[in-house]
Amino acid sequence: MNCHSPAVAIDPDSPIVLVGNPNVGKSAIFGALTGRYVEVSNFPGTTVEVSAGKVGGLPLIDTPGIYSLYPRSDDERVARNILLSRPPRAVVQVADARNLRRGLLLTLQLAELGHPFILDLNMTDEARARGIVIDTQRLSQIIGAEIVETVATRKEGIDALRARLDAPRPIGYRIHYDGAIESAVDSVTALLPADLPGARALALMILAGDDSILAQYGGGPDRIEAIRAIAAQTAARYDQPLNYVITQQRFKCVDCLLAQVIRVSPSNGKGWAESFGRLAVHPVWGWPILVVVLVGLYLFVGKFGAGVLVDWMESVLFDAWILPAAKSLAAFIPVPLIVDLLVGDYGLITMALSYGIAIVMPIVLTFFIAFGLLEDSGYLPRLAVMLDRPFKAMGLNGKAVLPMVLGLGCDTMATLTTRILDTRKERVMVTLLLALGVPCSAQLGVLLGMMSMLSPAAVAMWAGVVAVTMFAVGWLAARLLPGQRSDFILELPPIRMPLLGNILIKTAARLEWYLKEVLPLFLLGTFILFALDRTGMLAALERVAAPLITGGLGLPAQTTGAFIIGFLRRDYGAAGLFHMARDGLLNDTQLVISLVVVTLFVPCIANVMVMVKEHGWKTAAWTVAFIFPFAFGVGAALHVVFRALGIVF
Amino acid sequence: MICSLCGYEYDETNMACHAACPMSNGCAILCCPNCGYQVVDESKSGLAKLLRRLWKIEPTKPQKPAEENTQ
Repeated sequence: MNCHSPAVAIDPDSPIVLVGNPNVGKSAIFGALTGRYVEVSNFPGTTVEVSAGKVGGLPLIDTPGIYSLYPRSDDERVARNILLSRPPRAVVQVADARNLRRGLLLTLQLAELGHPFILDLNMTDEARARGIVIDTQRLSQIIGAEIVETVATRKEGIDALRARLDAPRPIGYRIHYDGAIESAVDSVTALLPADLPGARALALMILAGDDSILAQYGGGPDRIEAIRAIAAQTAARYDQPLNYVITQQRFKCVDCLLAQVIRVSPSNGKGWAESFGRLAVHPVWGWPILVVVLVGLYLFVGKFGAGVLVDWMESVLFDAWILPAAKSLAAFIPVPLIVDLLVGDYGLITMALSYGIAIVMPIVLTFFIAFGLLEDSGYLPRLAVMLDRPFKAMGLNGKAVLPMVLGLGCDTMATLTTRILDTRKERVMVTLLLALGVPCSAQLGVLLGMMSMLSPAAVAMWAGVVAVTMFAVGWLAARLLPGQRSDFILELPPIRMPLLGNILIKTAARLEWYLKEVLPLFLLGTFILFALDRTGMLAALERVAAPLITGGLGLPAQTTGAFIIGFLRRDYGAAGLFHMARDGLLNDTQLVISLVVVTLFVPCIANVMVMVKEHGWKTAAWTVAFIFPFAFGVGAALHVVFRALGIVF
Repeated sequence: MICSLCGYEYDETNMACHAACPMSNGCAILCCPNCGYQVVDESKSGLAKLLRRLWKIEPTKPQKPAEENTQ
């Protein structure tokens, strides 16, 4: 251990800066130190709010939560820029004592900046309750920094923290990276301006791929080019991105520190839930657990929701009660056109409400219950961690993984999150992939329901084709999005028993939202079909589409209607196919082909609107123009293969 | 509000995404500013409110995260 930090001249007006990971009680510490009088303002040039106050007459700034000094969001960038903008009087890092590993990862990066420093271990009461004992004295000796224990919610340790603000000192501890990285750090540091405070930290940020730092501190174009060459040469020595390698070496160092200062009482710290939580993200055991969860989901949504509940809703509620009653009441209406519009073949009640309430609602109801269980049990973030691995195996940019995972919830909102990607090219590509290959939660529910009608071999075929398509688009994306891979960081909540009341409330809110959103579209789609039917255009469309639908895909002509309404929402199209299959109009082979086609459709009209908003009409039009022919093309190819190989389910 | 996916704590009354969304009028979706994960705003659901009143269920906050995973 040795200290490389240069002497830093501190401006007497320099603030004390409060930093830390999200959710560590930083704001509570800020409130306890400053009292009630604080100023909240946007950091210049951003919409990120920063709080400022006074402690003992000295300015104190509360920064947004960060995981590292390599920013992944505007919040993190603001926090990092505050630390770099001018040397602070002191940096106070608030760390969660229950999760010292995450806190120390940031501590060691702050150490590289060389600012006067105090480590505040907050929530020490909860850590002790979990059997976590931290030898703070030993930790203080090893890293050479002041450490204070606090419980911000009870204002414990605040006076001690306030007293230490007078005498902060830079951390003496430094990570020694492997030879190649250390050599690169030295070379980059030599090219940075002389006596630059925190040069080692800046060099590491540049090597990790932070171009904004390079542009700000790199000097002229020649120096920037030389630094880029050093970073490229160093990166070429590793299979993984340099940012990832640096983070892993930091974690190794953190683990070494933890082994010396932390002790976890087995009785308190290792319950069944914790063990299960670890197994759920284990590279080997995580997969069987994932399979069990998916099979459970299939049985609950596919068998119970789409089987038992849909049967009851359709045959008892609608066929025996609602539809006969609606038809009897409609008989009093003197205009046959209105009667037909309400209860005809393409009637708003017989089709739109029947599909929406009798078919889709029971399926999404069971899916939302299952999804709520996954969320509240703490398994969902672990599922995201498991999904991250195959996405990385495809070679996808780490940042692109998050919108893809979020698309499993709602593609439209996930399209908005593509903003986190660095370039327009990346954003457009991930939007395309989302629209093409990632079914949203409602569509997943309906698809699971339809799968319950298929033989296991047919389900495997559907899953295989969708997986191959996904892998193909992922592979393509990786080639078209060559940028640096970034880490995918998630905070994992503890595994716990979900509360039934919470699940029911959450499901009710989701169901209400879903019905409010989809029923108007279902009604609109049905009205369009009705209008097409009455004007004879539906029959004309079926004739025009016959070479594609019956010839290319090998499906009955009536599926044209399901695909038309699938343009509005693909789950509505899927519901139409579901209804046809229940009526015996589609065999398993045809169901697999039609399912594949509708799975690859654009998710919904709202998704198209967001594409227009995010990327403009032209890009949205090109995306849609690619996706629909592609979906039908994959279906047609499947039909040709099935026919050529004589595959029948 | 604590995000069910990434554990980020945020203010559900200040959804920055609404300013940029063409469909934000009356939007009942809360969107985590850290990871983008969406949940339906229970406070805007009449059905959820009715169930709460009927069963006297108090709103509860999800537990804060305590571990991290870096892939």
